[in-house]
Amino acid sequence: MTTDTRRLTTPAWWLGMREAIPLLGGYIPVAISFGLVSIQAGFTTWEATLISLLIYAGASQFLFIGMAAAGAPLWLLIAMTLLINVRHMVYGPNLAPWLTTSRWWPWLMHGLTDQVFALAHTRMPQLEASQRLGWYSGAALLAWVSWVAGTALGAIAGDWLMAQWPLLGEVMPFALPALFLVLVMPRFTSPRWTAALLLTIAIAMTCTLNGLTNLGIPLAAGCGVLCFYLVRLGARPNASPASRGSHE
Amino acid sequence: MSNRLWLAVLACALGTYLIRLLPLLWMRRRLRRLDGNDSVEAMPQWLSILGPMMIAALFGVSLVPRQPDTTAWLATLLGVIATLIVWYRLRSLGWPIIAGVGTYGSVILLMDMLQG
Repeated sequence: MTTDTRRLTTPAWWLGMREAIPLLGGYIPVAISFGLVSIQAGFTTWEATLISLLIYAGASQFLFIGMAAAGAPLWLLIAMTLLINVRHMVYGPNLAPWLTTSRWWPWLMHGLTDQVFALAHTRMPQLEASQRLGWYSGAALLAWVSWVAGTALGAIAGDWLMAQWPLLGEVMPFALPALFLVLVMPRFTSPRWTAALLLTIAIAMTCTLNGLTNLGIPLAAGCGVLCFYLVRLGARPNASPASRGSHE
Repeated sequence: MSNRLWLAVLACALGTYLIRLLPLLWMRRRLRRLDGNDSVEAMPQWLSILGPMMIAALFGVSLVPRQPDTTAWLATLLGVIATLIVWYRLRSLGWPIIAGVGTYGSVILLMDMLQG
Protein backbone atom coordinates (compact mmCIF):
# COMPACT_ATOMS: atom_id res chain seq x y z
CA MET A 1 0.00 0.00 0.00
CA THR A 2 2.54 2.61 -1.03
CA THR A 3 1.33 6.18 -1.29
CA ASP A 4 3.06 6.96 -4.61
CA THR A 5 1.21 7.84 -7.78
CA ARG A 6 0.91 4.74 -9.88
CA ARG A 7 -1.24 2.83 -12.28
CA LEU A 8 -3.14 0.21 -10.38
CA THR A 9 -4.22 -3.19 -11.45
CA THR A 10 -6.75 -3.55 -8.62
CA PRO A 11 -10.15 -1.81 -8.95
CA ALA A 12 -10.15 1.66 -7.42
CA TRP A 13 -13.12 0.96 -5.10
CA TRP A 14 -11.31 -2.07 -3.71
CA LEU A 15 -8.17 -0.01 -3.10
CA GLY A 16 -10.31 2.60 -1.34
CA MET A 17 -11.83 -0.04 0.91
CA ARG A 18 -8.43 -1.52 1.73
CA GLU A 19 -7.00 1.86 2.61
CA ALA A 20 -10.02 2.67 4.79
CA ILE A 21 -9.53 -0.45 6.94
CA PRO A 22 -7.50 1.46 9.59
CA LEU A 23 -10.58 3.67 10.09
CA LEU A 24 -12.49 0.66 11.38
CA GLY A 25 -10.21 0.44 14.42
CA GLY A 26 -11.58 3.78 15.51
CA TYR A 27 -15.12 3.52 14.14
CA ILE A 28 -16.30 0.14 15.37
CA PRO A 29 -15.49 0.51 19.12
CA VAL A 30 -17.01 4.01 19.18
CA ALA A 31 -20.07 2.86 17.20
CA ILE A 32 -20.55 -0.04 19.64
CA SER A 33 -20.39 2.47 22.51
CA PHE A 34 -22.97 4.64 20.74
CA GLY A 35 -25.33 1.69 20.28
CA LEU A 36 -24.94 0.75 23.93
CA VAL A 37 -25.47 4.33 25.20
CA SER A 38 -28.55 4.70 22.97
CA ILE A 39 -30.20 1.61 24.45
CA GLN A 40 -29.38 2.83 27.96
CA ALA A 41 -30.97 6.20 27.07
CA GLY A 42 -34.22 4.45 26.10
CA PHE A 43 -33.89 4.20 22.29
CA THR A 44 -34.56 0.95 20.43
CA THR A 45 -31.98 -0.88 18.28
CA TRP A 46 -33.70 0.30 15.09
CA GLU A 47 -33.80 3.91 16.25
CA ALA A 48 -30.11 3.92 17.20
CA THR A 49 -29.15 2.30 13.89
CA LEU A 50 -31.23 4.75 11.85
CA ILE A 51 -29.70 7.71 13.69
CA SER A 52 -26.24 6.41 12.73
CA LEU A 53 -27.39 5.79 9.15
CA LEU A 54 -28.91 9.26 8.71
CA ILE A 55 -26.86 11.69 10.81
CA TYR A 56 -23.52 9.80 10.57
CA ALA A 57 -21.44 12.16 12.71
CA GLY A 58 -20.00 10.55 15.84
CA ALA A 59 -19.70 13.21 18.51
CA SER A 60 -22.91 14.99 17.57
CA GLN A 61 -24.87 11.72 17.77
CA PHE A 62 -23.79 11.20 21.39
CA LEU A 63 -24.89 14.75 22.13
CA PHE A 64 -28.22 14.19 20.35
CA ILE A 65 -28.98 11.05 22.36
CA GLY A 66 -27.93 12.67 25.64
CA MET A 67 -29.98 15.84 25.12
CA ALA A 68 -33.03 13.93 23.83
CA ALA A 69 -32.95 11.63 26.86
CA ALA A 70 -32.70 14.67 29.14
CA GLY A 71 -35.78 16.20 27.47
CA ALA A 72 -34.01 19.23 25.95
CA PRO A 73 -36.06 21.50 23.61
CA LEU A 74 -35.92 20.25 20.03
CA TRP A 75 -34.62 23.51 18.57
CA LEU A 76 -31.68 23.41 21.02
CA LEU A 77 -31.08 19.75 20.22
CA ILE A 78 -30.89 20.49 16.48
CA ALA A 79 -28.81 23.66 16.92
CA MET A 80 -26.21 21.98 19.15
CA THR A 81 -25.94 18.92 16.89
CA LEU A 82 -25.35 21.09 13.82
CA LEU A 83 -22.95 23.38 15.70
CA ILE A 84 -20.67 20.43 16.46
CA ASN A 85 -20.70 19.48 12.78
CA VAL A 86 -19.94 22.98 11.44
CA ARG A 87 -16.22 22.09 11.20
CA HIS A 88 -17.11 19.80 8.27
CA MET A 89 -17.66 22.93 6.15
CA VAL A 90 -14.01 23.19 5.15
CA TYR A 91 -13.68 19.57 4.02
CA GLY A 92 -15.58 19.66 0.70
CA PRO A 93 -13.82 22.75 -0.69
CA ASN A 94 -10.45 21.20 0.15
CA LEU A 95 -11.27 18.13 -1.93
CA ALA A 96 -12.95 20.05 -4.78
CA PRO A 97 -9.82 20.44 -6.97
CA TRP A 98 -9.49 16.66 -7.22
CA LEU A 99 -13.11 15.79 -7.86
CA THR A 100 -14.16 14.77 -11.35
CA THR A 101 -17.28 16.00 -13.14
CA SER A 102 -19.35 12.98 -12.07
CA ARG A 103 -22.82 13.75 -10.74
CA TRP A 104 -22.32 11.19 -7.96
CA TRP A 105 -20.02 13.43 -5.92
CA PRO A 106 -22.74 15.54 -4.24
CA TRP A 107 -24.47 12.37 -2.97
CA LEU A 108 -21.20 10.96 -1.70
CA MET A 109 -20.67 14.00 0.54
CA HIS A 110 -22.87 12.29 3.14
CA GLY A 111 -19.82 10.13 3.84
CA LEU A 112 -17.40 13.03 4.30
CA THR A 113 -16.51 12.53 7.98
CA ASP A 114 -13.35 13.80 9.70
CA GLN A 115 -11.50 10.57 9.07
CA VAL A 116 -12.65 10.06 5.47
CA PHE A 117 -11.64 13.66 4.71
CA ALA A 118 -8.16 13.18 6.19
CA LEU A 119 -7.64 10.03 4.14
CA ALA A 120 -9.09 11.48 0.93
CA HIS A 121 -7.19 14.76 1.23
CA THR A 122 -3.92 12.83 1.23
CA ARG A 123 -4.75 10.08 -1.26
CA MET A 124 -6.91 11.77 -3.92
CA PRO A 125 -4.10 13.94 -5.35
CA GLN A 126 -1.97 10.81 -5.72
CA LEU A 127 -4.60 8.91 -7.70
CA GLU A 128 -5.37 9.22 -11.38
CA ALA A 129 -8.57 11.18 -12.10
CA SER A 130 -10.35 8.06 -13.39
CA GLN A 131 -9.76 6.25 -10.09
CA ARG A 132 -10.92 8.93 -7.66
CA LEU A 133 -14.68 8.32 -7.72
CA GLY A 134 -14.22 4.59 -7.24
CA TRP A 135 -11.59 5.02 -4.56
CA TYR A 136 -13.67 7.53 -2.57
CA SER A 137 -16.86 5.44 -2.93
CA GLY A 138 -15.09 2.34 -1.60
CA ALA A 139 -13.45 4.13 1.32
CA ALA A 140 -16.54 6.15 2.32
CA LEU A 141 -18.91 3.20 1.96
CA LEU A 142 -16.80 0.91 4.14
CA ALA A 143 -16.56 3.60 6.84
CA TRP A 144 -20.33 4.25 6.72
CA VAL A 145 -21.28 0.58 6.81
CA SER A 146 -18.89 -0.08 9.71
CA TRP A 147 -20.40 2.82 11.67
CA VAL A 148 -23.98 1.66 11.11
CA ALA A 149 -23.20 -2.03 11.70
CA GLY A 150 -21.15 -1.16 14.82
CA THR A 151 -24.11 0.80 16.21
CA ALA A 152 -26.48 -2.12 15.65
CA LEU A 153 -23.98 -4.50 17.23
CA GLY A 154 -23.56 -2.22 20.23
CA ALA A 155 -27.32 -1.89 20.66
CA ILE A 156 -27.86 -5.65 20.48
CA ALA A 157 -24.82 -7.00 22.30
CA GLY A 158 -22.79 -4.00 23.55
CA ASP A 159 -22.86 -5.05 27.22
CA TRP A 160 -21.66 -8.56 26.42
CA LEU A 161 -18.94 -7.36 24.00
CA MET A 162 -17.52 -4.85 26.47
CA ALA A 163 -17.40 -7.55 29.17
CA GLN A 164 -15.77 -10.16 26.88
CA TRP A 165 -13.08 -8.01 25.23
CA PRO A 166 -12.50 -4.89 27.30
CA LEU A 167 -8.89 -4.64 26.07
CA LEU A 168 -9.88 -4.64 22.41
CA GLY A 169 -12.12 -1.63 22.95
CA GLU A 170 -9.21 0.10 24.65
CA VAL A 171 -6.51 -0.72 22.10
CA MET A 172 -8.24 -0.52 18.69
CA PRO A 173 -9.06 3.21 18.84
CA PHE A 174 -5.29 3.91 18.66
CA ALA A 175 -5.65 3.15 14.93
CA LEU A 176 -7.10 6.65 14.51
CA PRO A 177 -4.16 8.72 15.87
CA ALA A 178 -1.79 6.34 14.05
CA LEU A 179 -3.68 6.97 10.80
CA PHE A 180 -3.76 10.75 11.30
CA LEU A 181 -0.02 10.69 12.10
CA VAL A 182 0.75 8.90 8.83
CA LEU A 183 -1.47 11.38 6.96
CA VAL A 184 0.04 14.48 8.58
CA MET A 185 3.74 13.47 8.40
CA PRO A 186 4.19 14.27 4.67
CA ARG A 187 3.09 17.86 5.47
CA PHE A 188 6.21 18.57 7.56
CA THR A 189 8.04 19.98 4.55
CA SER A 190 9.59 23.20 5.91
CA PRO A 191 10.19 25.01 9.25
CA ARG A 192 7.13 27.12 8.50
CA TRP A 193 4.81 24.15 8.07
CA THR A 194 6.46 22.35 11.01
CA ALA A 195 5.85 25.27 13.40
CA ALA A 196 2.22 25.65 12.35
CA LEU A 197 1.45 21.91 12.48
CA LEU A 198 3.12 21.40 15.88
CA LEU A 199 1.23 24.37 17.32
CA THR A 200 -2.03 22.95 15.95
CA ILE A 201 -1.37 19.53 17.49
CA ALA A 202 -0.43 21.07 20.86
CA ILE A 203 -3.55 23.26 21.00
CA ALA A 204 -5.81 20.38 19.97
CA MET A 205 -4.34 18.19 22.72
CA THR A 206 -4.69 20.97 25.31
CA CYS A 207 -8.33 21.55 24.37
CA THR A 208 -9.09 17.83 24.57
CA LEU A 209 -7.42 17.50 27.96
CA ASN A 210 -9.71 20.32 29.14
CA GLY A 211 -12.86 18.66 27.78
CA LEU A 212 -13.16 20.91 24.71
CA THR A 213 -12.67 18.29 22.00
CA ASN A 214 -15.16 19.63 19.46
CA LEU A 215 -14.16 23.25 19.88
CA GLY A 216 -10.52 22.14 19.86
CA ILE A 217 -10.50 20.96 16.23
CA PRO A 218 -11.49 24.25 14.51
CA LEU A 219 -9.74 26.37 17.15
CA ALA A 220 -6.42 24.52 16.83
CA ALA A 221 -6.60 24.48 13.02
CA GLY A 222 -7.39 28.22 12.96
CA CYS A 223 -4.40 28.96 15.23
CA GLY A 224 -2.24 26.81 12.93
CA VAL A 225 -3.24 28.86 9.89
CA LEU A 226 -2.56 32.07 11.83
CA CYS A 227 0.87 30.75 12.85
CA PHE A 228 1.57 29.86 9.20
CA TYR A 229 0.93 33.48 8.16
CA LEU A 230 2.82 34.98 11.12
CA VAL A 231 5.92 32.89 10.42
CA ARG A 232 5.78 34.19 6.84
CA LEU A 233 5.59 37.78 8.09
CA GLY A 234 8.57 37.15 10.37
CA ALA A 235 10.72 35.61 7.62
CA ARG A 236 13.71 37.52 6.21
CA PRO A 237 12.89 39.37 2.93
CA ASN A 238 15.62 37.54 0.99
CA ALA A 239 14.52 34.14 2.24
CA SER A 240 13.06 31.92 -0.45
CA PRO A 241 9.33 32.44 -0.53
CA ALA A 242 7.27 29.54 0.66
CA SER A 243 5.05 28.14 -1.98
CA ARG A 244 1.33 27.80 -1.63
CA GLY A 245 -0.51 25.28 0.45
CA SER A 246 0.05 21.67 -0.35
CA HIS A 247 2.47 22.48 -3.16
CA GLU A 248 5.23 23.18 -0.71
CA MET B 1 -39.34 7.70 19.70
CA SER B 2 -41.98 10.37 19.11
CA ASN B 3 -42.76 11.90 15.73
CA ARG B 4 -41.27 15.21 16.90
CA LEU B 5 -38.00 13.51 17.78
CA TRP B 6 -37.95 11.81 14.38
CA LEU B 7 -38.32 15.25 12.81
CA ALA B 8 -35.32 16.40 14.85
CA VAL B 9 -33.31 13.40 13.58
CA LEU B 10 -34.23 14.26 9.99
CA ALA B 11 -33.40 17.95 10.52
CA CYS B 12 -29.98 17.04 11.97
CA ALA B 13 -29.34 14.57 9.15
CA LEU B 14 -30.29 17.08 6.45
CA GLY B 15 -28.40 19.92 8.16
CA THR B 16 -25.23 17.83 8.53
CA TYR B 17 -25.45 16.74 4.89
CA LEU B 18 -25.87 20.34 3.71
CA ILE B 19 -22.91 21.44 5.88
CA ARG B 20 -20.82 18.88 3.99
CA LEU B 21 -22.33 19.55 0.56
CA LEU B 22 -22.94 23.29 0.10
CA PRO B 23 -19.32 24.48 0.58
CA LEU B 24 -18.26 21.88 -2.00
CA LEU B 25 -20.79 23.20 -4.51
CA TRP B 26 -19.56 26.76 -3.84
CA MET B 27 -15.96 25.71 -4.45
CA ARG B 28 -16.84 23.82 -7.63
CA ARG B 29 -18.60 26.93 -9.00
CA ARG B 30 -15.57 29.03 -8.14
CA LEU B 31 -13.28 26.57 -9.90
CA ARG B 32 -15.52 26.59 -12.98
CA ARG B 33 -15.45 30.41 -13.04
CA LEU B 34 -11.65 30.31 -12.99
CA ASP B 35 -11.58 27.69 -15.75
CA GLY B 36 -8.17 27.39 -17.35
CA ASN B 37 -6.24 28.09 -14.15
CA ASP B 38 -4.68 25.27 -12.20
CA SER B 39 -7.52 24.16 -9.93
CA VAL B 40 -5.33 23.93 -6.81
CA GLU B 41 -3.93 27.41 -7.46
CA ALA B 42 -7.52 28.67 -7.77
CA MET B 43 -8.26 27.72 -4.16
CA PRO B 44 -8.07 30.53 -1.61
CA GLN B 45 -4.66 30.17 0.07
CA TRP B 46 -6.07 30.07 3.60
CA LEU B 47 -8.27 27.14 2.60
CA SER B 48 -5.40 25.10 1.21
CA ILE B 49 -3.52 25.67 4.48
CA LEU B 50 -6.56 24.91 6.63
CA GLY B 51 -6.92 21.37 5.19
CA PRO B 52 -3.63 19.99 6.57
CA MET B 53 -4.19 21.93 9.82
CA MET B 54 -7.55 20.18 10.28
CA ILE B 55 -5.80 16.82 9.91
CA ALA B 56 -3.16 17.91 12.45
CA ALA B 57 -5.94 19.00 14.83
CA LEU B 58 -7.71 15.65 14.42
CA PHE B 59 -4.39 13.96 15.22
CA GLY B 60 -3.95 16.07 18.37
CA VAL B 61 -7.51 15.39 19.56
CA SER B 62 -7.32 11.65 18.92
CA LEU B 63 -3.89 11.35 20.55
CA VAL B 64 -5.24 12.08 24.04
CA PRO B 65 -6.18 8.74 25.68
CA ARG B 66 -9.75 8.38 26.90
CA GLN B 67 -8.37 7.57 30.36
CA PRO B 68 -5.20 9.67 30.43
CA ASP B 69 -3.20 7.74 33.08
CA THR B 70 0.53 6.92 33.02
CA THR B 71 0.03 3.58 31.25
CA ALA B 72 -2.09 5.09 28.49
CA TRP B 73 0.36 7.98 27.93
CA LEU B 74 3.35 5.61 27.83
CA ALA B 75 1.51 3.35 25.37
CA THR B 76 0.61 6.40 23.28
CA LEU B 77 4.20 7.64 23.21
CA LEU B 78 5.63 4.26 22.22
CA GLY B 79 2.80 3.68 19.74
CA VAL B 80 3.58 7.00 18.05
CA ILE B 81 7.32 6.18 17.93
CA ALA B 82 6.63 2.74 16.40
CA THR B 83 4.27 4.29 13.82
CA LEU B 84 6.90 6.91 12.92
CA ILE B 85 9.74 4.40 12.57
CA VAL B 86 7.76 2.12 10.26
CA TRP B 87 6.46 5.11 8.27
CA TYR B 88 10.02 6.43 7.76
CA ARG B 89 11.17 3.02 6.54
CA LEU B 90 8.21 2.07 4.31
CA ARG B 91 6.36 5.35 3.53
CA SER B 92 3.17 3.30 3.37
CA LEU B 93 -0.29 3.65 4.90
CA GLY B 94 -1.13 0.28 6.43
CA TRP B 95 1.98 -1.13 8.10
CA PRO B 96 2.80 1.92 10.27
CA ILE B 97 -0.75 1.77 11.70
CA ILE B 98 -0.49 -1.96 12.40
CA ALA B 99 2.88 -1.36 14.12
CA GLY B 100 1.45 1.53 16.16
CA VAL B 101 -1.64 -0.35 17.32
CA GLY B 102 0.45 -3.47 18.05
CA THR B 103 2.92 -1.51 20.15
CA TYR B 104 0.15 0.41 21.93
CA GLY B 105 -1.67 -2.84 22.77
CA SER B 106 1.54 -4.60 23.88
CA VAL B 107 2.42 -1.79 26.30
CA ILE B 108 -1.12 -1.80 27.77
CA LEU B 109 -0.97 -5.60 28.20
CA LEU B 110 2.53 -5.52 29.69
CA MET B 111 1.68 -2.76 32.14
CA ASP B 112 -1.51 -4.58 33.17
CA MET B 113 0.55 -7.72 33.85
CA LEU B 114 3.21 -5.80 35.80
CA GLN B 115 0.60 -4.07 37.91
CA GLY B 116 -1.06 -7.44 38.60
